[in-house]
Amino acid sequence: MAVTGLGKVRNKRKQEEVEEVEKGPFVGAVDLEMQSEDEAEDEDQEGDDASDDGDVDEFPEIDAASDSEEESEEEEEEDTDDLNEEDTLDENSDADSDLHIFPKSKKVVSDITGQTKVVYPEIEPDYDSDSSTEDDPNRVGNIPMHWYDDLPHLGYNINGKRVLRPAKGDELDKFLQTVEDPNSWTTAFDKNAQMDKPLSAEELDIIRRLQAGENPDAEYDPYEPTIEWFTGKGKEEVMPLSSAPEPKRRWLPSKWEKQKIMKIVRAIRQGRIVGSKPTAADKKQQFYAIWNEPPSNQPPPLPAPKPKLPTNSESYNPPEEYLPTEEERKQWENTDPEDREGDYLPHKYPALRLVPAYDQFIKQRFNRQLDLYLAPRIQRVKLNVDPNSLLPKLPTPNSLRPFPNYKSLQFMHTKARVRCLSISPDGAWVASGDESGVISLWEVNVGREVKRWSLSSKVGAIEWCPRLDACFFVAGTEERLHFFIPPNISPAMLTMTQSTLAPPTLPPATQSSIKWISTSGATEDGPILTIELPSASGLSRQLTWHRKGDYLASVSSSETQGSVWMHQISRRHSQAPFKKIKGAVQMVLFHPTKPHFFVATQRYVRLYNLAEQKLLKTLMPGIKWISSMDVHPSGDHIIVGGYDRKLCWFDLELSEKPYKVLRYHSRAIRSLHFHPTYPLFASSSDDGSIQIFHARVYSDLMTDPLIVPLKILRGHDVQEGLGVLQIKWVNKQPWLVSAGADGSVSLWCS
Amino acid sequence: MGRLKQKGKAGAAKAYVTRSSAVKKLQCSLADFRRLCILKGIFPREPRHKKRANKGSTAPTSFYYVKDIAYLAHEPVLNKLREHKAFAKKISRALGRGEWSTAKNLEDNKPVYRLDHIIKERYPSFIDAVRDIDDALCMIHLFASLPSNPRVSPALIENCARLTAEWQLYVMHTRSLRNVFLSIKGVYYQAEVMNQNVTWLVPYQFPQNIPSDVDVRVMLTFLELYQTLLGFVFFKLYTDAGLVYPPPLDSGKDESGAGVGAFNLRPANPSPATGAPKSDAPKVSSKEVRQTIKNITAESSSVPPTDVDIDRTGSLPDAAEEEFVPQASKSDLDVPSSLPTLLSLSSLPKPSSTNIFAPYTFWLSRESSRSIFEFLIRSFGGRIGWPVSSGGGSLFTEDDEAITHVIIDRPAAKDDTAQERERRRRRKYVQPQWVVDCINAGKILLEDLYAQGKTLPPHLSPFGERDGAYDPTIGLANVENSLVEVDDAELSEDCQEVEDVDMGSELEGDVTSRAALAVVAANDPEALRAAELAAEAAGVDYGTFEKEVQKKQKQQKQKHKEDAVNDGGGEEDMNKILMSKRKRQLYERMKYGEKKRATEHAKLEEKRVKIEKDRRRKARAS
Repeated sequence: MAVTGLGKVRNKRKQEEVEEVEKGPFVGAVDLEMQSEDEAEDEDQEGDDASDDGDVDEFPEIDAASDSEEESEEEEEEDTDDLNEEDTLDENSDADSDLHIFPKSKKVVSDITGQTKVVYPEIEPDYDSDSSTEDDPNRVGNIPMHWYDDLPHLGYNINGKRVLRPAKGDELDKFLQTVEDPNSWTTAFDKNAQMDKPLSAEELDIIRRLQAGENPDAEYDPYEPTIEWFTGKGKEEVMPLSSAPEPKRRWLPSKWEKQKIMKIVRAIRQGRIVGSKPTAADKKQQFYAIWNEPPSNQPPPLPAPKPKLPTNSESYNPPEEYLPTEEERKQWENTDPEDREGDYLPHKYPALRLVPAYDQFIKQRFNRQLDLYLAPRIQRVKLNVDPNSLLPKLPTPNSLRPFPNYKSLQFMHTKARVRCLSISPDGAWVASGDESGVISLWEVNVGREVKRWSLSSKVGAIEWCPRLDACFFVAGTEERLHFFIPPNISPAMLTMTQSTLAPPTLPPATQSSIKWISTSGATEDGPILTIELPSASGLSRQLTWHRKGDYLASVSSSETQGSVWMHQISRRHSQAPFKKIKGAVQMVLFHPTKPHFFVATQRYVRLYNLAEQKLLKTLMPGIKWISSMDVHPSGDHIIVGGYDRKLCWFDLELSEKPYKVLRYHSRAIRSLHFHPTYPLFASSSDDGSIQIFHARVYSDLMTDPLIVPLKILRGHDVQEGLGVLQIKWVNKQPWLVSAGADGSVSLWCS
Repeated sequence: MGRLKQKGKAGAAKAYVTRSSAVKKLQCSLADFRRLCILKGIFPREPRHKKRANKGSTAPTSFYYVKDIAYLAHEPVLNKLREHKAFAKKISRALGRGEWSTAKNLEDNKPVYRLDHIIKERYPSFIDAVRDIDDALCMIHLFASLPSNPRVSPALIENCARLTAEWQLYVMHTRSLRNVFLSIKGVYYQAEVMNQNVTWLVPYQFPQNIPSDVDVRVMLTFLELYQTLLGFVFFKLYTDAGLVYPPPLDSGKDESGAGVGAFNLRPANPSPATGAPKSDAPKVSSKEVRQTIKNITAESSSVPPTDVDIDRTGSLPDAAEEEFVPQASKSDLDVPSSLPTLLSLSSLPKPSSTNIFAPYTFWLSRESSRSIFEFLIRSFGGRIGWPVSSGGGSLFTEDDEAITHVIIDRPAAKDDTAQERERRRRRKYVQPQWVVDCINAGKILLEDLYAQGKTLPPHLSPFGERDGAYDPTIGLANVENSLVEVDDAELSEDCQEVEDVDMGSELEGDVTSRAALAVVAANDPEALRAAELAAEAAGVDYGTFEKEVQKKQKQQKQKHKEDAVNDGGGEEDMNKILMSKRKRQLYERMKYGEKKRATEHAKLEEKRVKIEKDRRRKARAS
């Protein structure tokens, strides 16, 4: 027992003594206790009980309480008994001596029983008495307190009076109490008293022990000394526990064990159980002649490709020319390792001892292994052909002369880009129109400008009449077509031309949206005849003559129905050939020999028979947006060019699909033209170049047309994304005239 | 009407399987799958139509043949891998519980897979295996030189070192080394084994560290396969050569750092006469050895290597004569050539002389790598000794009288002792490149070019370059021409200046015009003659006239060339218009490659001319 515990016990003793003083009749009984230690408990209790029984009449009030208290005290005492017998003895003797200071008892004869009894004088509860200073604990007993939950009292006291519920402060009071009272944190709610009571030192000690994970009982000693009951001298057991005889199995070998062992022995003898092999030995003999048996006939898997053998540049001492220059080194270092040409930079070391370790060695071996197991392998047939043998065998351009191959002269329109040009049928004059509305007439041979007309709006198309007996050309502007007669023509031709353009007899004019306006007299500076197209038809994009020079077809840039018109000069009559056309018309062309009419919309080229007024064919070039087309003079072939750089050659006899699709310009194709007499055609493009082809068409149907590229003519500048806008061949010469967006018109001669 | 075709039931959709589904099918982890693929040599395939193979998706995936995966599913190694997985679980459990004896038992019965059947499958015949050992040799040489770490165990490194030594022994024994190349990456060796060229790369002897971006697991798996493969290949090679495999290791020698010398090559059926181990290469050629092994009887296979050794050490001149004379009668290859220019070196056909070093004894100075040069010299029949600092096992010491060459790689020392000088008089001091160049040339080269302290001639690859590539040895003629031109131009400029001073400028114009005239008619000798006369009449001296003519001719030629290029190039380009797209692309690719190679070639030549010019200028200046 701890020292603190001892002190506590003493305190208790004092209280006890006080009570004992009160309870006179127990003194004798207490005295009796001292006789023997072992018997003390029993006797004490018996004595108590006996005395209780005896004193029931005398002290009925304090009976229960005193009984229980005494019992608990005695229980406590039991524990202490062993260790401090003497203390108790002393104390008891003290208690005996102390008894004498209390008021004297007197013996009287009870009038009820007739026996003598000890009567004590009444104790005045004054300041001397210990118990009077203490608060009277409530003695409602161990009852379920919830019975009184909604009642104002807690139970009843010994006198049968209600014990009132102690006053409970509100929350603020509680809080103040916690603040003011330094011991408030060691208080706990007492259920019996229905109020907070401070915890006693023992209780706090129990809490501390529980918190520390110790045994809550302070008296428990985990290290009690062992008590030797059966060891040591004189304590041995001599007698056997059982008198049964010893069994046989203690000295006979087991039959079943023998059977089991024999089974294993047999298995070992038969080789079914093999002892663990020595590991080192079987490692040594792991290689044997694996290839001694003939191989199976299935083919071996493809061997992995071997890495490339090193070249001179990998040498530690390469010839000096292999060493990289400073820029090469920098460039190599700046590129990503994946993008590098080789995996090393050549380096020269003067001696072998100076060659350091190669830091990429392991990395490169690892990469090789990744290649071996992660890279898909494809068997490629290595083409061992001369690349030139892949080129098609074509006659050399030199054998196909003449064709234009140099720029012989250049005519400049200073103001704006030249959209269109036309060459007179006799091949002597060129009329070119630009976007500022200027039409220049100049000579092919020398490039001298003969005449200039200025119109109000930009010129979209110019076309010379193919008739040889008359000489005039048509220029298409915004919503108008103007007819011009060049100056300096022979008088006979002039009269013929004038009579053609102003026929003396005219059929009665029909109601039409198109007006034919003749300018009176032959004014040199203006058009002789003007056709006014319907308003909002826009710039006339293209003009084309029928070969006989009587019909003229015009295409306007508007998307509406009336973009195509057919004009007859002799009758001064215009008509729209199509009521309805799918898509925007890009170009129209007359067939050179038959009464057929080609119409190119954005995606398709349709061929109509004008005489029978029906659709003959739809050609599908597969071009996103058709820009130009031309018909071969024989009328059986047509070429179509598109803004998507493609050129398609159609054989009309063959199919609706192109016979050949060529893509060689780097920008959109703008213009195409077949030479009327020579087997040549040319294409111009926005990349500023003109490509000349030799195109021979055979009358034999079995032979394919021969197309040979001859020459690329460069000389026009590209301006605002536009290059060469129109090209035309000179009629009887292998010469080409081209109009560019840079405002120049060039003549290319052979 | 035929049956309706269902999607994904035939063709590419059925023939290919993606990697993730292959792993799922095999029910193993990705790491195990990788390991299996490496061991079995299965690699992804590129389907012709990725979209069809991947059920319409175009996401980047790797595909395998379904049949390959089915073939993997029956693999015994896969079963072992599964067993190993279970084993790993068991042992970790036992260790976690501290059941040491169980763990030990488990460890003893650890599932181990064998790769014999895989080797046999992948290489049905021996030739297939020999053809594919290049990578294996590289790897074991690399790992033999690595320091050990927790991932790479010392036992593994030891095994790799043993395999490298066995291979080198075999190559030395059969004299099958053909080419050696000292590159910046390491040393390339090429040997001819079973008529197959085997090339391997050995790093220089420096401690290497495995970089962090390298997956060691993959390398170790490859190494596992390679070790097994090489074991079987060496077994077969050794057995065919009549030797015991594995060659017994002399542990005492190995301790002293003898390297290759620690192994004893022992004939398979030792006869009483040749009981001693062959410590050196035999005198007879490898072919003869093979022949004799074929018609083997114990008595007839008489290879007395030890005797030869003694002979040589005892009386070297005799031995040299003995070896020298019969070979000289066969071919004159062993006679050191009088003028070993690079030109003659490359023009000669590669001789098959395998013991060019037989008459010589070498001493290796301590700064040159013993592992390289011991192998080289001994594979070509020479004897070699080295100082103790390079390891034990040297047959003789530095002051041996028999030493004819010293391989030395340091600059010449200035103060020689008398003994040194005496030695220098008797021995040839050469730089290590000499040995390699001799081997590649197939004969003994003149030692003077490679003498100690001299600037070495360039070391060229013996494997050659691709056809049409720049060749530093034959480019000389071209370069000479251009150099001459350059010189002439410079000279003529000088002359011109002199003339200007002498005669004044109007005459010069006259000269040039005349010369131009002459050149125009250059094809016509008469006209040239006439022009010459005219020039003489005008008072121009002949030399100037000649120069003018040459200059003009050159210009003319250049012009012609340019014209040709312009015309031809344009024409080709135009003809391309008529090609189909596919052919055009092919053509363009080929042309691109051609052009790239041509530019490379031109660049190298240009550089060379520049270097050459600088050199001449310097020479002239000094």
